[in-house]
Amino acid sequence: MTPTVNLSPGARRALLLAPALIFLAVFFVMPLVDNSARSFIGEGGFTLSRYTDFLTDSFYLGVIAETVILSAAVTLISVLIAYPVAYVLVRKAGRFSGLMIFFLIAPLLTSIIMRTFGWQVLFARRGLVNQWLVTDLGLLDAPLRWLNTPGLAIAALVHVLVPFAVLSIASVLQGVDRRLEEGALMLGASRIRTFFEVTLPLTVDGIGTGAILVFMIANGSFVTLVLLGGGFQTLPLLIYQQFNTTRDFALASTMSTILLVIALACLWLQLRLLRRQGV
Amino acid sequence: MRLSDIALWVFTIAFFVFMILPIAVVVVISFTEAGYAAFPIPGWSLKWFARIFEYEPFIDSLITSLWLGVVATVASCLLGIPAALYLSRARSGWATAITTFLLSPLSMPMIVIGFASLFFLSALGFGVSFLSLAIVHTVICLPYVIRTVSAVYRAVPPAYEEAAMILGASRLTTFREVTLPLIRPGIAAGSLFSFLTSFDNLPVSYFFGSAQTNTLPVVMLAYMEHQFDPSIAALSTLQLLLAVVALVVADRLYGIEKMTVAT
Repeated sequence: MTPTVNLSPGARRALLLAPALIFLAVFFVMPLVDNSARSFIGEGGFTLSRYTDFLTDSFYLGVIAETVILSAAVTLISVLIAYPVAYVLVRKAGRFSGLMIFFLIAPLLTSIIMRTFGWQVLFARRGLVNQWLVTDLGLLDAPLRWLNTPGLAIAALVHVLVPFAVLSIASVLQGVDRRLEEGALMLGASRIRTFFEVTLPLTVDGIGTGAILVFMIANGSFVTLVLLGGGFQTLPLLIYQQFNTTRDFALASTMSTILLVIALACLWLQLRLLRRQGV
Repeated sequence: MRLSDIALWVFTIAFFVFMILPIAVVVVISFTEAGYAAFPIPGWSLKWFARIFEYEPFIDSLITSLWLGVVATVASCLLGIPAALYLSRARSGWATAITTFLLSPLSMPMIVIGFASLFFLSALGFGVSFLSLAIVHTVICLPYVIRTVSAVYRAVPPAYEEAAMILGASRLTTFREVTLPLIRPGIAAGSLFSFLTSFDNLPVSYFFGSAQTNTLPVVMLAYMEHQFDPSIAALSTLQLLLAVVALVVADRLYGIEKMTVAT
């Protein structure tokens, strides 16, 4: 007898999928469920009081709003910057496209600490940017305070996230049938009108995918805000503070559950968009 | 060249200056002679690279991070490759749902994964240990392996494997002699990505900090809170060098564009 293993398709499937599924069920789903469960358990058993307290407290409502608004602002800026760059990458770059992709991906591989360090050096009181503005260009009389301003924190977040937007938009732009644009041009539409009425609508899905991706990562990021300041009060930042100093773990669990719900909503939107694209 | 083209190129170049400047500045500062982190630098020296090796927490955490990256990557391959092989050939609706589930750690906020896992693993008795770190890092590295291996395997025509089996090869032989060599680039690229993700991770590792389990990014963060000297720049430069070498290798193995397009 040769030891041929003739497994039924069902058994084969189970054998191949089970390790990864079980691992993630135990070490990814269960911790998240356990964490959320903690926010529903009070002294007398099940309670919704943490959520009713949280969602009626104007400070915490402000925190949720600030989290969403900051992420939305970062997303909007990233997409606006990313579109022209993606357009150049796909349509104009030619032999430079490899180089452009390299310089888009290389920053993705640098640590968040390195980038933050770079921002701190560039925008220090006696840093390079102030030196340019005051001494070299003479645009300002005195150096500006950049660090710990909301603007710099947003710029740093955009720096982290904009490559994702460029790559998402570029991949959809690549699939646009050029003949549709040529047709519009031949029929007498101007280049600008062709762009706004043909190219842009055809790439809306790419913008959507990129935007959701950026929004999702922005929503969970806190290291940039911890190191560069900016005075933001966002959910991840508050979770970090609760863990570090206040140590109100039930409150931290409540906040992580709310953050998780936002993330799940984004994931759901993302899947709907991807399905529409037929990926 | 049209005016609009010139405008587009100017914008693109400005964009890349914005992307590269903060990173380039750190690379230059890592070679400074001065005792402080400022740009431009007064003179060149390698002393901050030497400083890395004098400061024990850097070296200890570097070793922890390297080991952690290797363990999480090996675990991700063992768990992820079989799943990827199955899912890339499955066509049913629930296979798509399972793929989504297996990739979902990428979409969840890291800080929540870290915070939740700390409590859960402590309740299980793993506590703050290397094992706990390895488990959580595997959770966040697994999607990268599954994504890259599936992408490569989907492009492999099933005919190769069918031919081997028609010619009498067993499933195991077919896997070893046909499938494995064909998906090797995907495994290599996925592993590199997984390693870099683990090596670079701060938001999850942060929750598992202790003298024995501090990873390099955690130690760097703590160091930055007290000192602002160029040794952080030197470490970052080394890290970037490692990542760029890995990127070039991955490009040779797999093609750079395929790694980033969201799937």
